Order: sequence, then structure tokens, then C-alpha cells
Amino acid sequence: MRPFPPWARWPTGLRSKSAQRCSQAVVDAFFLPTPQGERFCLLHVPPAGQPCRGAVLYIHPLAEELNRCRRMASLQARALARCGFAVLQMDLLGCGDSFGDFSDATWDAWLSDVGAGRQWLAQRYDAPLWLWGVRAGCLLAAASTRQQPDVPARLLMWQPVVAGRQHLQQFLRLRQMAEVVQGGGKVGTDALLKQLEQGQAVEVAGYALAPGLAQGLAEATLDALVNVRQVVCLEVVAPGQAQGYTASPALAAQIQRWTSAGIAAQTTAVEGEAFWQLPEAQLCTALVDATVAALVDA
Amino acid sequence: MQFTEHALLIPCQGDAMVGVLSRPGTPSTLGLVVVVGGPQYRVGSHRQFVLLARRLASAGYPVLRFDYRGMGDSEGEARGFESIDQDIAAAIDALKQACPSVGGVVLWGLCDGAAAALLYCGATRDARVAGLCLLNPWVRSEATLARTHLKHHYSARLLQVDFWKKVFSGKFRVLQSLRELWGNFQVSRSGALHQGAESPFQVRMAQALRQYSGRVLLLLSANDYTAKEFLETASTDPLWSGLLHRPGLERVDVDGADHTFSRQQWRASAEQAVLQWMGTFKP
Repeated sequence: MRPFPPWARWPTGLRSKSAQRCSQAVVDAFFLPTPQGERFCLLHVPPAGQPCRGAVLYIHPLAEELNRCRRMASLQARALARCGFAVLQMDLLGCGDSFGDFSDATWDAWLSDVGAGRQWLAQRYDAPLWLWGVRAGCLLAAASTRQQPDVPARLLMWQPVVAGRQHLQQFLRLRQMAEVVQGGGKVGTDALLKQLEQGQAVEVAGYALAPGLAQGLAEATLDALVNVRQVVCLEVVAPGQAQGYTASPALAAQIQRWTSAGIAAQTTAVEGEAFWQLPEAQLCTALVDATVAALVDA
Repeated sequence: MQFTEHALLIPCQGDAMVGVLSRPGTPSTLGLVVVVGGPQYRVGSHRQFVLLARRLASAGYPVLRFDYRGMGDSEGEARGFESIDQDIAAAIDALKQACPSVGGVVLWGLCDGAAAALLYCGATRDARVAGLCLLNPWVRSEATLARTHLKHHYSARLLQVDFWKKVFSGKFRVLQSLRELWGNFQVSRSGALHQGAESPFQVRMAQALRQYSGRVLLLLSANDYTAKEFLETASTDPLWSGLLHRPGLERVDVDGADHTFSRQQWRASAEQAVLQWMGTFKP
């Protein structure tokens, strides 16, 4: 691994003792500068002396799902690092600890963030690249392969969102539900979509969704991957449901399309709680194990 | 004022905690540490804590947000809000180390983060804590839940049109509802708070608030069950008697707000209240 450039280090005086005392940790935290402000990053690296099997870029899901998946992503990143993968978790523009407000986020800005993350990893690790998307993050991963067609990538997808339009509608429905709970008037998702089309942001569950994000999300699909040899999909199903699991019709059709395009694509189910939906933090260790196994065997 | 943000790894008992410091160009002598509550990590629901930190930092206050051990990105085993005194102490150390000009810190906590901040003061009597900012403090027990349910749910139901519609159309299950009401009444009278050998956290919270000599801002959402339970407890439980009127305690209610201040206007009101309150500290 190459040494960190100066901007990736903590300012003198901040790092000092704490970094030394945490030297056992495989995690490094820093802000990555981009033309549109800094992005918060966490880097998990394999133990010293271990060769790097692969570089993994984590692409988080939308809005509150990011928060709910945080602990699982953290556990997964550490588990992968222990098995020889370098994992970069980056908060996209207006998300997590990164620069900007959520209302500043657009689909294109997020895509260029993913590109910056890919480039950062490529400059440091001469190893196969994995794009690890969660939920809507899978759509960004797919779009990124089209944007950087020259660089091969493999995709790891957790509970993939197959169609961006449907995901947007589900997100807008949260606003509808909040209005009902708070005793306000009924707001249909059609009215909210119209508001977006007219160029106005819509506030949903504390997030101001900008038209430029909504439009990109609505048009996003998992189709037409470029320079991708393999896709590993993992889905979480209720306890007792893994045996005899079949993917949803939409995902099954997607896998069929990938396979026809010559991509080795498969989907596997593990049992656990739907942690990306639940307000109380839920861990699904079976998913962590299955992910490590899939990437090590790839 | 300009500010910069810095990623920190904060050592705590051999584990690294991840934190983000918002540091103004010329930091004030008063800093703030966000004690994260519930299942959240350091950015908060809909980035509430990020936006608060940026607002305060642009007014000159350095702010540290961090994941305590076992939460978010931090290492270590998960532990409850009752067991994070060492984590809070380490965060205060880290803030003071990064901003040596800081003399005192405000602990800011929402929900069980507010509970944790009070418990920390009670257990450590850390003189560095210059103030407490408590948002919708968590005091839930079976008894508080039942009492609040009795007061707010049933009385509100009596005023609802659809309740009476159900009663008259025969859809209202009278027996079951009466049983529920009686059950709630019994639990509410049980005084479950004061039983058992070890003091429950609610008792320790009240004791801490009584003993704490610094200033306190109590920030309550008007439309939040947790806040209602807190008020119910503070007004009926002898342990809390007079505490909401103790010297140095200021209370601000945010109209219409839900538990996490999930609309821009509610969030802004809460930020403004904190900012105003911090502005009255003497250096």
C-alpha cells in the first residue's frame, strides 16, 4: 500500500497520541477532498504483511437506510479487511459526515463521488475492484460501471433495489405516512412527484430531496453493466425462509438478463432481520459470513 | 465564522471510537459533545447532529460527535446508554486535546443520550461539564408508560370523532378496552420505579439533576411521547419534585416537533434555542 498523501492525514496535533494508541485498529478515518467539498471516508486494511485480495468500495443506501445499515456495514468492512480486502467506505455528497446538505445531492454528483472513490482505491491497491452496493447503492454501482467502462469491476449487492422509480415512490410514501400520523392533509405521491418535476425539493422524513436526485434515481436501473464479469447478490429473508428461497420476479428477471449478457450472476438468501428497515439496530451475522465467503471464493 | 471538520479516532479502553470534530477558526472556550442516543450513530436521524454541529461551529463553538463503543463505526462490544461513562470521558478528553482553548464542555443528548449525559454527571461529577442540554430525556419504565398512556391516549381518544363512530357502530371492543385501561391503571400505580436493590437509571437521573450545579437546557418536543412521559414523571414522582424549577434550568418547548425534530423548521428552532442558551455562558 502506498503512503497516504498529506491531505489524507489528520492535521498535526489531532492525530498525535490517539492514533498511536489505536495502532492495532485496521481502520483509518479521514476527509477526502473533491472539487465539491470533502467526503468522509473510513478505510479498513488487511493486517500488516497480508497481501491484498481485492479492493472494495462501499456504496451506501438512501437517507435513513444509510444510518440503519451503518453498524452492519462497519462489521462487514472489518470482517472483509481481516480476510485480506481493503475496504473504503465513503459518505456521498450531503450524506453522513460528508460536506453539504442532503438537498445539495444530485444523482450525477453521487456518481462522480463513486468515481472518486474508485480512483482513490485504484491508486493504492493493485487488486481486483469490488463495488459493494446496499439497496439504492446497487443502482449507483451499476451506473458507475457504465461511467468507467475501461476499468473492470465485480459487483456485490445487498438487498438490491432493482428499479429506481419504485424506490423513489416508496421513499415519497414516507412523507404520506408522516402526514397521516401528524394529522395533516393527505399528500399523494403523485402530487409530490409533480412538485419535483416542477423543480421544487420535497422534504421526506427530515431529508430535503432535490429534483436532481429524484430524477436520476427514478431513471436508474441495474441493466447494461459494462466490463463486469461477476455479480453476487445477497438477500436477507425471514428465519426459516432461506430453504426454497426464490428471488423476487424482478430480481430473477434481472439475473436472467445479466446471465444472457455473459455475466456470472447469482443470488443467495440468508436468514435474519430486515436491518435496513428497522429503527432498532439489528445485526445479521449470517450475511457477514456469506459475504466474506462469496468474495473469498470469487 | 469558518470552520473545518476533522475525523478522529478516540481511544477508549483499548478500542477506537470514531468521531468527527467541527472546529471553528477561532474556537470559543466553550465546547459541546453530542452524546448519541437510541440506535443512532454520530450523524443522527436525518443528519440532525451533523447540521447542529455545523451551525454551532459557524458560531464559534467546537463540537464533537462520536459513536460510543459498539455503535456505528466504533470498535468494541455493544453496551447500553447506562454504561458509557468511560466513552463520554474519552470524548471530552479528545475535544479538549484537539481544542486546547476549550475550558468547559456542554453535553448535548437526545432521548437516552440525554439520560446518559445526566448519568455521566451523577457518576463522575466531572467538573469539566459546564452545562447539560437535554432533549426529550428518556425515563421510560412500565409505570411511566402506563401513566402517560392513561393521560394522553385515552383522553385524546374521547375527543376523536372516529372513536365515537366506532362506539356507536359496535366496532369498539368495550370489554377489551376496559381491561386494557384497568391494566394500565394498576401498573401506573405500582411505583415500579422505586423497587429493587440497585437504583434504576431513572432514579439516578433525578439524583444527578439535583446534585448537578451547572446550567441545564431542557428542550422538549411538543408532539413526542418520550417528552410527555418525562414531564409526567417529573410532575408526579416525588424524586423529581421541584427539579424542573431548580435554579439554572431553562425549559424550551418546540411547537409541533416530533421526537427527532424531523422537519427543517423544528430542527432550526431547536438549534436556535441551543445557540441562544450557549451565548449566555460567561467565559
